[in-house]
Amino acid sequence: MRMRHVGIISVGYNGRFVSKRKDVNIPEMIQAAVENALAKTNLTLEDIDAFVEGNMPTFEGINYPNLWLSDHIGAVNKPLMRISTGGTTGMSAFHCAYYHVASGLYDTVMAIGWEKHDEGDAQVGLGGIVLPELFTMFSFGPAMSGPGAGGTLTGGGSTGGASFQAMSYLAKCGGDVEHIDMIAAQARSNAAKNPYAHLQMPGCTKEDIAKTPMVSYPLRYGHTCPTSCGACAMILTTDRKAKKYSDHVAWVKAVAAGTSDATTGNLVEGQITDPAEQLIATQVAKKAYAMAGIEDPKKEIQVAEVYDGFAHQELMWPERLLLVDEGKAPEMLERGALAIDGDMPINPSGGVVSTNAIGASAMVRVAEAALQVMGLAEGGHQVPRKVRNALAHGWGGLFQFVTVTIVGDTKRKG
Amino acid sequence: MIRNVAVVGYKQTVHTAASEVSRERMVYELVKSFYQEMGITKDDIDTFVMCTNDFQEGRTISEVYMVPRIGAYMKDETKVDSDGINAVFYGLMRILSGNYETALIVGYGMGGSEFPGPMIFNHMLDPIYERQLGLVNEISAAALQANAYMRKYRLTELHLAKIAAKNVRNASRNPYAVRRIDGISADDVLSSRLLYSPLRELHMYPPTDGACVLMLASEEKARQLTDTPVWILGAANCQETYYLGERDLTLPVSLKLAAKQAYKMAKIRKPSEQIDLAELHTNFASQEPIFAEALGLYPRGSGGSVIEKGESEVTGKIPLNPSGGPLGANPFTACGIIRIAEACAQLRGEAGANQVKDARIAVAHGYVGICAQHNTVFVLGTSPVS
Repeated sequence: MRMRHVGIISVGYNGRFVSKRKDVNIPEMIQAAVENALAKTNLTLEDIDAFVEGNMPTFEGINYPNLWLSDHIGAVNKPLMRISTGGTTGMSAFHCAYYHVASGLYDTVMAIGWEKHDEGDAQVGLGGIVLPELFTMFSFGPAMSGPGAGGTLTGGGSTGGASFQAMSYLAKCGGDVEHIDMIAAQARSNAAKNPYAHLQMPGCTKEDIAKTPMVSYPLRYGHTCPTSCGACAMILTTDRKAKKYSDHVAWVKAVAAGTSDATTGNLVEGQITDPAEQLIATQVAKKAYAMAGIEDPKKEIQVAEVYDGFAHQELMWPERLLLVDEGKAPEMLERGALAIDGDMPINPSGGVVSTNAIGASAMVRVAEAALQVMGLAEGGHQVPRKVRNALAHGWGGLFQFVTVTIVGDTKRKG
Repeated sequence: MIRNVAVVGYKQTVHTAASEVSRERMVYELVKSFYQEMGITKDDIDTFVMCTNDFQEGRTISEVYMVPRIGAYMKDETKVDSDGINAVFYGLMRILSGNYETALIVGYGMGGSEFPGPMIFNHMLDPIYERQLGLVNEISAAALQANAYMRKYRLTELHLAKIAAKNVRNASRNPYAVRRIDGISADDVLSSRLLYSPLRELHMYPPTDGACVLMLASEEKARQLTDTPVWILGAANCQETYYLGERDLTLPVSLKLAAKQAYKMAKIRKPSEQIDLAELHTNFASQEPIFAEALGLYPRGSGGSVIEKGESEVTGKIPLNPSGGPLGANPFTACGIIRIAEACAQLRGEAGANQVKDARIAVAHGYVGICAQHNTVFVLGTSPVS
C-alpha cells in the first residue's frame, strides 16, 4: 500500500531554553512556541486540524496537562492526542502527529513537546521510576524484588545508571574519560552557535570540562545535561498542502520506534545486562533506513541529532545507529569528523547535554534535523555542506525506548 | 478512511475490587491467554499501543515494566497518556497509514487496590487556581453537571436512581463486572451514601482492578485472523475548553463534534434510527442521558422519559450500556477499551445474558477530564462502510 507523504513545514521554539522561567507559567511558555511555529508559515490556528501534546506529567505534578492547556494552545473544539513515553516523549508525539497525517484522517497537525523543570524536580520525578521497587526490596529482600531492583542500586535519577553505561562504552571502544571531556566541550561550543540552546560556552575546551567535579565516575558535572524550561512546536502537513503553506519543507522519510526491557543495565537472574549494548537502537535504525530507502547511512546521512543526556552517549549512539563504525567514534572525534564541518556532524545544536527540557528534547532532535534540511539552522550551527538526509534519535524509559526519524529534502520514493 | 480496519479480538479480566496479583502479573496473564485464544504469538503484532497513566500507577514513565509483559520486548511500541479509547484511536491511525497491518492495544487500572480515582483526578486540575481552592474535584464537578441537567430538564432524583439501578442490573448479568448487586432497585441507590448532592455511591463507578486487551487489523489480515471481524466505521476525538464556567455541561460540545465527525465517516445520517446500541463512558449515572443526547441517540432533555419507558434497557429502543458500563467496572485506562470490547461483543452476538437483538451498528465512547472535557467516539459495525 502506498503511504501518504508527510512534510514538516515549521518549527517553533518559545525562545531560548533556560533553567528558570519565573516570568511565565506553563501555558504561557507553550503558547509562545505555538505562536512562533505559526508565524513562520501563512497558517492560523484555524488551519490546524488536530494537536498532539506530550511531556512527563510527574515532573510538574499535573495529570493530563493537555486538559488545562487546551485554551492556551488553541486546541479548543479540536482533536487532541496526548503522548508520554519518558525521554522519547517528544519524538513519540511527533510520530503520533506523523500518523495523524499519514492515516489520511487529518491534513495539518501541530505537535507540541514541553517541560518546565523549574516547577518540579526532575531527579525526584526520575527516582519515581524505580522507587516502587525500593519498597518491594524492603518488604521481600533484593532476591524477591524482581526486575528493577538493580535500578535502586543506582540511587534513582539517571546519572547513576548512565555512569555504568559510560564505563561499559569506554571499555568496549577503548576510549578514555578524556574523550568524554572532548565531546562535552564540542557540545558546549556547538550550543554557543545555537541561539536557543541552554548551556552556551563559546570555545569550551576539554580542559574546562575536566575541571568540573566528578558526579559518578566517569561522569563529571560537565558531562551531564542541565534541566531546562522550554517548548517546541512543529507543524506537519500533506504533500499537497506543504508547498502552499511554507517555502521550506523537510520531508519525513522514515519513523521507527522500539522497546527493550527495563532491566537493561540491571541485575537479572545473577547477570548484569550491558547498558551500552543497546541492540534496540541498531534494530530501530535499520528499520528506519529500510523505510527511507537508505542503503549506506554513513554516506547518505549528512547530519545526526542524537539524544545525549550524558556526553558519552554522543559517541555511543552514532555507533549503535550505524552512522559510524563500531568503536571508531573516539577516533573520529579526535580528527574533528563529528564537528559541524566534519564528515558526520553529530548534534550541531549542542544536543541534549546542553539543553534538556525532557518532554521537548526528543522533538527538538527532529526539529533540529528538519532545520538542517531546510537550511534554516540559525546562529552558525548550520552544517556547511548540503544536507540531503538528517537523522534524529530519541531515547527514554529505563535505558529501553528508542525512536528514530529520518527527514530529507525529497519525498520518500514509493 | 483509506482502508478498512477491524477489531479482530479482545479480552478483559474478571474485574475485582482488589487484585490478588500485581498489575504486571494481571496484564501478563491476560495478554498471554489472549494470544493463546487467538492462536497467535507476539510476532503477529506489528505495533503495540499502551495506555497507562503515571499518576494512576504512582510511577514516572509508568509503562517501563509493563512493556515486556505484553510481548513488546524488542518490538515497536508507544504509549498514549489518556483514556484507553485514544490508544485504540492511535492504533487505528497507525494501521490506516499503511505502515502496520496489526496493532495490540492494552490498558489497565488498579483503582481498587492502589490510588482511588478522585485522588488521582485532583491532579488534573490547574495547579494555580482550582487545585488550591479545593472546591472542584471529579465528583463535585459531576454533581454540578447532574444538577444542571436535572434542573433544566426536570429529571428527578428517582429518575437518576433508576438510571443507576438499570446500569448495575446489567452489570449483575455481566460476568466481568465488579459491582454486581442482584435485584438492585432505585431505593437501594437512594439509600446509598451521599457523596455530593445529588450523587450517591451507587451513582458512581466502583473502585476497580482490571485490564483489557484489544487487537486491530487491516482488512486483509482481519479476514485471516477471524470469521467475525467488527469493522471500525468511524472514529473521532475532540477536546473542549477546560473552564467549567464556559461550558454547557448538559451538552458537551466536544462530544457533539466528535460524534458528527465519526458519523460522517460511517455515513450515518440518522443516528437515532441507525444505531442499535451504545456503550458510554459514564463515570456517573447522571452522564448517561447527557452523553446519549450529545451523540444524537435520544432527543435533548429526554432523560426522564427514556428511563421511565425502559428505552435504554437491553430490550429497549437504543440500549445504553447493556454491559452495565463503568458503573459495573471502571479500571481507568482500560475503561474506554472495554467500551469498544463490549460493543464488539454485542455485534458478534457474544454478550450472553445482556445480548441486544439484531445488533449491527454500535457506538462506543470514552472520555477524560472533569465533566468529560475530551471525548472520543467509535462507530462499529458488522460490515464495512460501503
